[in-house]
Amino acid sequence: MTRTLLTGNAAAAWGARLAEADYVPAFPITPQTEIIELLAEWMQRGAMAGRIVMLESEHSMLTAAGAAAATGVRVFTATSSQGLLYAMEMLYTVAGWRVPLVLVNVSRGLAAPITLEPDHNDVLAVRDSGFLQFHCATCQEALDGVLLAYRLAEDARVRLPVMVNMDGFYLSFTREPVRLPEPEQVRRFLPPFDPETLYFRAGAPRSQGVAVLGGAQYSYFRYEAHLASLGALRVFEEAAAEFARLFGRSYAPLETFHTADAEFAFVMLGAFATKAKQAVLRLREAGWRIGLVRPRLLRPFPAQALVEALGGLRGIAVIDQNLSTGMGGVLCSEIGAALLRAGARPVVAGYVGGLGGRDIPVEEFFEMARETKAAAEAGRCPPTRLLYTEEELRQTRALQAIAMAE
Amino acid sequence: MSETRFKALKDLPAQHLLLPGTPMCPGCGGLEVVKQVYDVLGENTVFVNAAGCLTLLATYPFTPFRGSWIYTAMASAPAGAQGIRDALDILIAKGRLPPAQNLDVVVLSGDGAAYGMGLGPTSAAIDRGLDFYYLCYDNEGYGNTGQQTSAATPAGARTATDHGPVGFAGEKKDLFSIWVAHHPPYVATITSADPVDLARKVETARGHAGPKLFIALAQCPTGWHYDPKDTVQMGRLAVATGIWPLKAYAGGRVTHTRRPKPKGERPPVEEYLRAQGRFDHLFSPTRNEEALARIQARVDAYWDAAE
Amino acid sequence: MFRVRFHGRGGQGVKTASRVLGTALFHAGFEVQDAPRYGAERRGAPIFAYVRADRQPIFERGVIVRPDLVVVVDDTLLTLPAAAVLQGIAPHTLLLVHSAQPAEALRAKLKAPGQLVTIAPREVAATGLQPQGAMMTVGAAARLLGVVPRQALESAAGEELAALPAKLRQRSLALTLDGFDGVEAPGGPVRELPAEPAEDYDRPRWIALPFEDARIASPTIYGAGTSMLSKTGLWRVQRPVIDRERCRRCVWVCGTYCPDNAIAADAGGYPVIDYDHCKGCMICLVNCPSHAIAAVVESQAREAAAAGDAP
Ligand SMILES: Cc1ncc(C[n+]2csc(CCOP(=O)(O)OP(=O)(O)O)c2C)c(N)n1
Ligand code: SF4
Ligand code: SF4
Ligand code: SF4
Ligand SMILES: [Mg+2]
Repeated sequence: MTRTLLTGNAAAAWGARLAEADYVPAFPITPQTEIIELLAEWMQRGAMAGRIVMLESEHSMLTAAGAAAATGVRVFTATSSQGLLYAMEMLYTVAGWRVPLVLVNVSRGLAAPITLEPDHNDVLAVRDSGFLQFHCATCQEALDGVLLAYRLAEDARVRLPVMVNMDGFYLSFTREPVRLPEPEQVRRFLPPFDPETLYFRAGAPRSQGVAVLGGAQYSYFRYEAHLASLGALRVFEEAAAEFARLFGRSYAPLETFHTADAEFAFVMLGAFATKAKQAVLRLREAGWRIGLVRPRLLRPFPAQALVEALGGLRGIAVIDQNLSTGMGGVLCSEIGAALLRAGARPVVAGYVGGLGGRDIPVEEFFEMARETKAAAEAGRCPPTRLLYTEEELRQTRALQAIAMAE
Repeated sequence: MSETRFKALKDLPAQHLLLPGTPMCPGCGGLEVVKQVYDVLGENTVFVNAAGCLTLLATYPFTPFRGSWIYTAMASAPAGAQGIRDALDILIAKGRLPPAQNLDVVVLSGDGAAYGMGLGPTSAAIDRGLDFYYLCYDNEGYGNTGQQTSAATPAGARTATDHGPVGFAGEKKDLFSIWVAHHPPYVATITSADPVDLARKVETARGHAGPKLFIALAQCPTGWHYDPKDTVQMGRLAVATGIWPLKAYAGGRVTHTRRPKPKGERPPVEEYLRAQGRFDHLFSPTRNEEALARIQARVDAYWDAAE
Repeated sequence: MFRVRFHGRGGQGVKTASRVLGTALFHAGFEVQDAPRYGAERRGAPIFAYVRADRQPIFERGVIVRPDLVVVVDDTLLTLPAAAVLQGIAPHTLLLVHSAQPAEALRAKLKAPGQLVTIAPREVAATGLQPQGAMMTVGAAARLLGVVPRQALESAAGEELAALPAKLRQRSLALTLDGFDGVEAPGGPVRELPAEPAEDYDRPRWIALPFEDARIASPTIYGAGTSMLSKTGLWRVQRPVIDRERCRRCVWVCGTYCPDNAIAADAGGYPVIDYDHCKGCMICLVNCPSHAIAAVVESQAREAAAAGDAP
């Protein structure tokens, strides 16, 4: 197992390479493009025995990906942001086909206004599609996540596509030390794809993705996908246990950091959660009993683990790098609902921050901790706050003046 | 197209492969086309379908096919064909599928998808040299949603979105030429009213690797407003009046496989139009001479140029 | 609340008829809800539509399971289980059938628990689907409800038929009013069912859907030709019948043009029509070079077959 410096994109590409993906339908978009460029290079010089094909859009790319998986090959693909939404119709469709494939999404804010920098609105917009979602916080996780994703997707008890998500720039273009597993070891963890009943071939007539009429049939197929997704939680835990045995790295559906004795916790998804870890350590030095909870799996939603981790706390600060306009943060309402249904009532402070790649400096974590504690003492959940400073508004005003917006 | 096993109706396959029991309208020209094409292509095929009337050919748990099928979406059936073709090639190359179990991949798309939303994906599949068949059944409108105007709707036709006294004011898009401009190995127009011409073309296409594309007139009693029994007559009239040229592109050349009689001898387009309720308004309460002359002139100009 | 369910075939004007009734009830001062119900089926296939009318806002939606009035535009549907014409009928339900058959005989045949009224077709049932039947029937339905003034029906029909060519519109309007004038229910007008009690009801037998793996739980068909199980022959209103005397055994003609692959050659080379699936489009008839195919009205062909005559 070599340790080397890799960007998140390269780590994801390594995941696909080590998984020995047969087929990669592709389309470029920043900040994902490096993944498909690397795969193309490896395939063209024979370092990887797969085929990459450039499609003309992400909608077509997902169609080709799903159709190839339905024919019985191991498929990898990647996109980002507008591309993910352009493929939206096909995300639901291929999930409904019940085909296993792995899609890496490199999160980037959605237009308009168009931007290159990350937030999680893209990946959360498709959270109901049937794809499972694995969210990464490090480049190592991007690689390992792809391997875990194949195990999950191809398990007969699941057979759903899986999305591995990483933040644009903060992971995609950032190099970190990554352990590259040995191909032999990976093969033990992830045996060759057994398509079972998934194929098209002469002599075995098969109709896939067939139309249905009537709510009873439709409900059946949709709900079965839901049951498979819920069941994937256990399958993931099994796979993660084997992964830990083989590679020495443990992945629970929920990452918890200093929560054992905590009174408070930050809750967030993705790469910025490592910033929260840094804040936790500093706050603890100052005497706080505070931790971090980070869902790796968002679909299936690890509700029980979340309730166990958060239910007994005095207050939690949910930091959403997304915005459901007219509602607030997506994660906050999902977690709030899980706690409510479990009868657990920590005070929940909702924050929206990091939109369009806006940084969240450590001081803001300190301040969120302070506000959350005050709210807990008052026994009241505060309204959702946008992490935004006077200085930022001043800068925006200056630009508005140039734009002659009055 | 000299050595063909199809010289007359009698030579066509006597056993038809597409099974009955589909939810298509009685007299559906699109269904008739698929049935005839399937007879020549055979059951070692996988149909990749775009949203349209014929999506309901396979409605769970019923399928009329002896071979395989997948429904994709309205826009991206050619990309679905790409995925399946690539996967089959990969499986064969890696020794995971015996070559004898290979399949032909066939896109089945309506005109709405083929001329519009799916045109980009089709163009791209041709660019990539994808080895597949593409069958567009052209019923000249978005049939499944109630026959709204599509890019294939002909001049003057009344549709669910063009009710006015002139019907559809635009012109039918020349998809054949758009496809030909990509220089694929084979492009042809067909009609189930000329099953021999159709079978020969499908047979000829079989000899080509790469994209093989067909536009089939798909007479639609429901959307065109005529009695279902007249589906074949409608196709014959379309050919005889010259409004539906039967042609093929191969080896860089367009050939007309059937020629209507010369101008003056062939029946006027009017005969075709008058037979369909969707053109009623061109004849009553008063004849729209201007529109009729324009439609006729366009047909004549086409054949003048094709001489 | 009045709950009226219409049954007919695609192409018979069932949707228009249900809208005429809906509009007429609306003009008569009712709150109204009307809707057609679509499936994958096409022309000739059994379809239905429904109308609700009440003196207060209507909260109910969707399919009518307990109709007060069932309007059957095409009596050939009565014996088709797939058409489910008799579904949910109760002793209070009035059945209105567009049929030449005597009401009493029909009622006995169907074992209908309540009143059955027929309205005889005005034109001789020739061939094809006749939207006119729907108009007469809806006129009768309006009368049977006992709450729709003739004037309300007339203006409703005028509105709903406005898009038709003048001649057809006038004829349809006349038929609608004929239907209204020409019917009487011996047992009195349609009765409304009292609302369902919230305490004494049939409890749904819910289950926790069991998990099933994707091999079963995906919309995949693992086989070929299962459409054979779909009896599209039920859509047929006319039946093509081959006269073997005239037939020259050129099955490549009729067999090639039949869109539905419902014609195959027998051992002797004669065409045999698969009546389970033939939709009755009559393409074979018009393309037979020897005029060996005749169109027979389907209901007559069925009766003849039931009586033991060859079709
Ligand atoms: C993205 C998308 N938009 C709209 C539709 C709705 N839709 C289904 S079939 C259809 C018409 C397709 O027309 P055409 O391709 O000509 O086929 P036809 O229905 O005439 O057979 C439409 C618009 C759809 N399925 N997908
Ligand atoms: S609407 Fe036209 S194309 Fe569609 S099934 Fe009916 S006849 Fe065929
Ligand atoms: S086309 Fe007419 S004559 Fe020929 S086989 Fe059919 S029924 Fe007989
Ligand atoms: S009427 Fe004739 S052509 Fe039409 S479905 Fe029946 S057998 Fe086939
Ligand atoms: Mg169409």
